[in-house]
Amino acid sequence: MAIYSAGRRRTMIILLLSSVLLITLDLRGNAVFNAARSGFEYALRPFEVAGDVITRPVARVWSGMTEVDDLEAANRLLQEQLDAQRSDQIAAQNALIENRDLRALVGLESLAAFDRVTASIIGSSPSNFDQRVEIDRGLVDGIRVGMPVINSAGLVGKITNVFPETAIVMLVTDPQYHVPVKVVAEVLSTPPTSVPDTVPSGLAVDDVVTTTSTSTTSTSTTSVPQPIFDAAGNPLDPSLLAPAGGTTTTSSTSTTTTTVVEMVEVTRETGELDGFGADQYPRVRFIADSPQFGLAAVGDAVLTAGGSLSLAPPDIPVGRVANVIQRAGAGGLELEVELNADLDRLIFLSVILYVPPIQAAAVR
Amino acid sequence: MFGALLTSSLTRIIPIGMMLLALQKTLFVELQPFGVIIQIVLAFAASAGAAGGPERGAITGFSLGIMFDLAVGSPLGSASITMGLAGYVAGWVDLIRIETTWWLAAIFVGVGAAVGEGGVPVVRRFIGEQDAFVPELAKIVPVVAVTAAAASLLLVPISRWSLKIERPEWKMPADGR
Repeated sequence: MAIYSAGRRRTMIILLLSSVLLITLDLRGNAVFNAARSGFEYALRPFEVAGDVITRPVARVWSGMTEVDDLEAANRLLQEQLDAQRSDQIAAQNALIENRDLRALVGLESLAAFDRVTASIIGSSPSNFDQRVEIDRGLVDGIRVGMPVINSAGLVGKITNVFPETAIVMLVTDPQYHVPVKVVAEVLSTPPTSVPDTVPSGLAVDDVVTTTSTSTTSTSTTSVPQPIFDAAGNPLDPSLLAPAGGTTTTSSTSTTTTTVVEMVEVTRETGELDGFGADQYPRVRFIADSPQFGLAAVGDAVLTAGGSLSLAPPDIPVGRVANVIQRAGAGGLELEVELNADLDRLIFLSVILYVPPIQAAAVR
Repeated sequence: MFGALLTSSLTRIIPIGMMLLALQKTLFVELQPFGVIIQIVLAFAASAGAAGGPERGAITGFSLGIMFDLAVGSPLGSASITMGLAGYVAGWVDLIRIETTWWLAAIFVGVGAAVGEGGVPVVRRFIGEQDAFVPELAKIVPVVAVTAAAASLLLVPISRWSLKIERPEWKMPADGR
């Protein structure tokens, strides 16, 4: 039997051309294909439910065998983080209220202003090349393609396909995911005691928080090293001072008046966050190395930038800078971002019913 | 040939494909050896090739690929190319022997699945996706190939039934001449 025969070649060409034609039509947007997808989704649902019920015990056994150590370690880590964050929570809540009030005062849109739909995950992508999950809310709940998806930790992804009762969420780590972000860092600094009329950021001194005038009284007990003398009575090398010499107790009372100016310099740069696959950190690209903004550093916060063309509203927490990569030539900086949301342990998600301003204007 | 093959075997391939797709979307997203999702539908396409030859394998892979794309939401036709390719490559086992042994079929199913899974980023790059070649590809392809080869022990008989293939009546002489 020959590998290449006329009939076989004809069949292969027909199949290949059919595939290319289907791809072309689908990528251009085709209502028939969308209807076929919805219909197939309905037809497949009973098979999926049956498959889920039958295979659930097998999946649980597998999870029990492979994930118990990871779960124990994660549980310990989470407990430590929970303890650490309890104290931060009160301060954060206060800041949240202040932020909301101030935004309302100035008329800026905030994340709390948008309606949300809470959904639970009912499936994951069966492909090794997609980072997507399926949720149990869809078109009838007001979800549309492009809407951002978050959980309590931060940005998770965006809606890419919507069916009547379900939707597909593309995760931030998917190589096809892109969103404009900003990198924000707070830098505390203390200028000299003589305060100029303006601070380096250009703000008037009155705008800068001025605090603390302290008066201190101190009593100290000091260990005074004893010098070692040679036979002639001359002191030897200071480095040879005897550490366990005599102890002198001195009492002093001093009054100090200090003016400390606390400044918060905000480093802000913008770029595009791109997914790089499941086991890779997403990266922020197109960042210019601009000294006037300062350099992005490990630990800086990354949030969505918003804007008229962005599918996500501003200020959704994304994560923190994990690595700064300096690319050669005019490539500029690349930042690897450690996501706030743990995409391996997603259960409930919120879809923000956000429509970009430019799209909303087009609809009107 | 093309139309006849489709009409004769579709009645069996579609329900089998639906069941495998359901398993793919439920069980096999949980069982991830080395963090790789086992591609059972792709393995079935390759098994169809190993059971029925390159042409039948390609057509079965094409049909299963359409179903996969409809279920997953990927561009319609993209999985058809890769699964059709997997079926076609696995079908080359027919060129070596008239009656395939289980281990030879397993090897060719593994090779077919590897070619099919390795073809996914190529197709995705072709349709304009950036960063289609993920670094994990070197891990994904061997795991998918080995698991497909293992699954072929079950899937080759099923695909033989699906495609209504009967064992050849002609046998090799016992002395090999």
